[in-house]
Amino acid sequence: MLLSRSALLPIWHPRGPALLCAAPTEGSTDVTLTSACTSTKTIRRTGVAVLTAGVFVLSGCTSSSTPEREGTAADTTATTAAPTPGGTLTFARTQSPTSLDLHTEITANNAFAIDKIFEPLLSFNAQGEIEPWLASEYSPSEDGLVWTFTLRPGVRFSTGDLVTPEDVVYSLNRHIEVGGPLPLDAPITSIEASGTDTVVITLSEPYTPFIAELAGFSNGILPADLGGVDEATFFKNPVGTGPFVVDEWTEGGDISFTKNVNYWQDGKPYLDELVYKLVQDDNQLVAQLQSRQVDVIDSVASANVATLEGNSSLTVSTTPSWVVEEIFFNTLDEHFADRDVRRAVSYALDREGIVAATSFGTAEVAGSVLPPSVPGYDATIDSLSYDLAGAKASIAASAYPDGFSTKLLVASGNTLRAQEAQIVQAQLAEIGITVEIESIDLAAFRERFRAFDYSFMINSATSDVADPNGIVSFQADPEGGTNGYWTHYNNPEVTALIAQGRTLPDGAERTAVYSEIQATIAGDAPFIPLSYPSNIKASQATVQGLTVLPNGSVRLQDTWLTK
Amino acid sequence: MMNGSLRWLRRTALRVVPVVTGVVLATFFLLRLVPGGPAAAALGDQATNEAVAALEAQMGLDQPLMTQLWSYVSGIVTRGDVGTSLLYGTPTSELIAGRVGVTLSVVALAVLLTLVLVVPLAFAAALHKDGVVDHLIRVVPAIGLAMPTFWIGLLLIMVFAVNLGWLPAGGSGDGVRSLILPAVAIAISMTPVLVRTLRAQLLEVLDADFVATLTAAGLARGRVLVHVLRNAALPTLTLFGLNIAYMIGGTLVIERVFALNGLGALMFESISNRDFPVVQGVALFCAVAVVAVTVATDFLVDRLDPRSRLS
Repeated sequence: MLLSRSALLPIWHPRGPALLCAAPTEGSTDVTLTSACTSTKTIRRTGVAVLTAGVFVLSGCTSSSTPEREGTAADTTATTAAPTPGGTLTFARTQSPTSLDLHTEITANNAFAIDKIFEPLLSFNAQGEIEPWLASEYSPSEDGLVWTFTLRPGVRFSTGDLVTPEDVVYSLNRHIEVGGPLPLDAPITSIEASGTDTVVITLSEPYTPFIAELAGFSNGILPADLGGVDEATFFKNPVGTGPFVVDEWTEGGDISFTKNVNYWQDGKPYLDELVYKLVQDDNQLVAQLQSRQVDVIDSVASANVATLEGNSSLTVSTTPSWVVEEIFFNTLDEHFADRDVRRAVSYALDREGIVAATSFGTAEVAGSVLPPSVPGYDATIDSLSYDLAGAKASIAASAYPDGFSTKLLVASGNTLRAQEAQIVQAQLAEIGITVEIESIDLAAFRERFRAFDYSFMINSATSDVADPNGIVSFQADPEGGTNGYWTHYNNPEVTALIAQGRTLPDGAERTAVYSEIQATIAGDAPFIPLSYPSNIKASQATVQGLTVLPNGSVRLQDTWLTK
Repeated sequence: MMNGSLRWLRRTALRVVPVVTGVVLATFFLLRLVPGGPAAAALGDQATNEAVAALEAQMGLDQPLMTQLWSYVSGIVTRGDVGTSLLYGTPTSELIAGRVGVTLSVVALAVLLTLVLVVPLAFAAALHKDGVVDHLIRVVPAIGLAMPTFWIGLLLIMVFAVNLGWLPAGGSGDGVRSLILPAVAIAISMTPVLVRTLRAQLLEVLDADFVATLTAAGLARGRVLVHVLRNAALPTLTLFGLNIAYMIGGTLVIERVFALNGLGALMFESISNRDFPVVQGVALFCAVAVVAVTVATDFLVDRLDPRSRLS
């Protein structure tokens, strides 16, 4: 019979569990990467990757000859040709938005539509540096408790109404009230409007990640009282200050936007229209790009990168992301409760080999729980990297010197994870650990780890902010809400350091705290970071000025089309 | 005649009611037996268990199973309402209405293409029994049977969309043009079995006494073949009907390969996200459609074959 169900398997690959979040960052001075072009240097390169990096995106980088080009993905304004206004950009994405309520959503399908409509007071650029956005200026009081934000003059909603301090107060209060999956965690005691252009926010104690949190898409500004309509109506036809306005939205299908004619950045957006087209399959993404049905594809499977790079009418962009691909241990598991067992696993895994075999040169070998694109990343910590003798010594010192049998949980339909799991299985056999791979549907996978019903698993973590506090809080702080990202990791020493890191002002002392946190976590090995994947996008060569942010979103107000 | 219609109605009802009831109950319970829920999918891996529980309560999933079943069933029976998507907040019927056009268009085009391919090929093979043409017709389409549909789809995309650029690679934004490749892919995989069935039946009927009689009576060859087809078509028609019924619920693979946003894609997405009401709604819709197609096929067979009405 035709269309047999088994035929499903080969094409069944929803994205991995890593659809996650978007979000903001904090402006920190010690960002290690200064431009997209140079930052790609940190990415493991094959010759191919070098080419890509050069070509990428940058309006400035029009040819692929050298990787060290000037201009950055972030600053597309420095371009050789003047942007041409007009045209429609068709942007293919693998998931369609389900809701545009910025306070209740977190997943990428919603986040990267929401951030085209609503904008926060502050934002972050391609390097994760905080920059003024709807607020043109901001400053803290001496004690770091009172923050004053000055609204940029002349910012209007898409309806033409001026943004007032009352709108800001309403927006942030609604967020605090709703809470949501990306809450404003800062200890805010009051948000007050003052005069015609000032908002004053008071904290109960110093909280350094505040600015980074505020730059998240979920702190976008909307009209006070939703402009007088009910929530359902408002979020079907939302009003914000962003570069685009929802035009047509088919639930579960495409969503199209028209340019916001009242946008505050002069002459932008260049595009007249933007269409997010739903294309759910990796092969289709590539095929539709190759046949010029779409202009940009939101993700490229690493296995497809080389094919696309070989096509001169296409441009592939590989930029640093805030994602970390990791092995997570259930520290309540009888075997993995033993620190020596976890350390033995860490030593036994050849991460260089795993990354080389699975990423096709698009990912970097990981050591720390923080990705290099987040400030505070420390490349010098001892990450218990591949050392078979060390692995054997650790397992000998553990409660299971003769090894044991266990199960590795992975979500099915993710080719990358399946490959990683097989390599892990083979490498752990070397130290007497017999691994059975258990591959289950994504929703079931989530239910299992949420119930701590697993031994160890492969998943990814995503920072929501360019501040180290975000990722270490949810991965290592028992109070972080997810019990150490479903590992039940609890080291009071680390917990105390995390609390200290939140209050210390940016500077050497704070950086040292995060170095210590990263080193201690690596030593305890509740998770083993495997790789730092890149954001990979591909577009027609006619698409200029795609600014890819480290959370995976794209600033489309800067984008234009050459004829 | 009255008697016949009544019998037909009764037979139809006997099929529809148990199938629909079975599908409603099976999808309801199976979905809830499978681990994983919609709230965890919507909130992401970083959401706390409290947040997930709160959203589940808001979705009404904390209610006892029987309460949920009652509200689902009573919704269908009293209002024809199959529920509201937990993910989109829109009625399932609207989501289905938005998608069904694409699926049915592909199926219809595939059916048409298959018919156009099958009838002449089967005749050509039967009339040249054991000749070169017969062998070719039996062997070449079998290649289509041997390849999985998704693979045929990928090949068609590579050749006709990416390399030649004649037709779109996927999506449904291009009208009929965007439906051609998916329909061809389905037709290629449906044709072989149907050609062989029809060929075998044709051969059988060509040997029948009435053919010799008609030919001897001097009836034109074309007229004779019409009678042959009418007699030979019945088993093929039944098989064809089953295939169509299967396709309505089974275009998922083809929709996925060609990025068509139809019922299959909706089903796939809703299962992944555990959007219970939508999965239930689509399953119910497909069940009704399948029953409708089989009933229609039987009706057609009845019309074509007066003998079955006598029994």
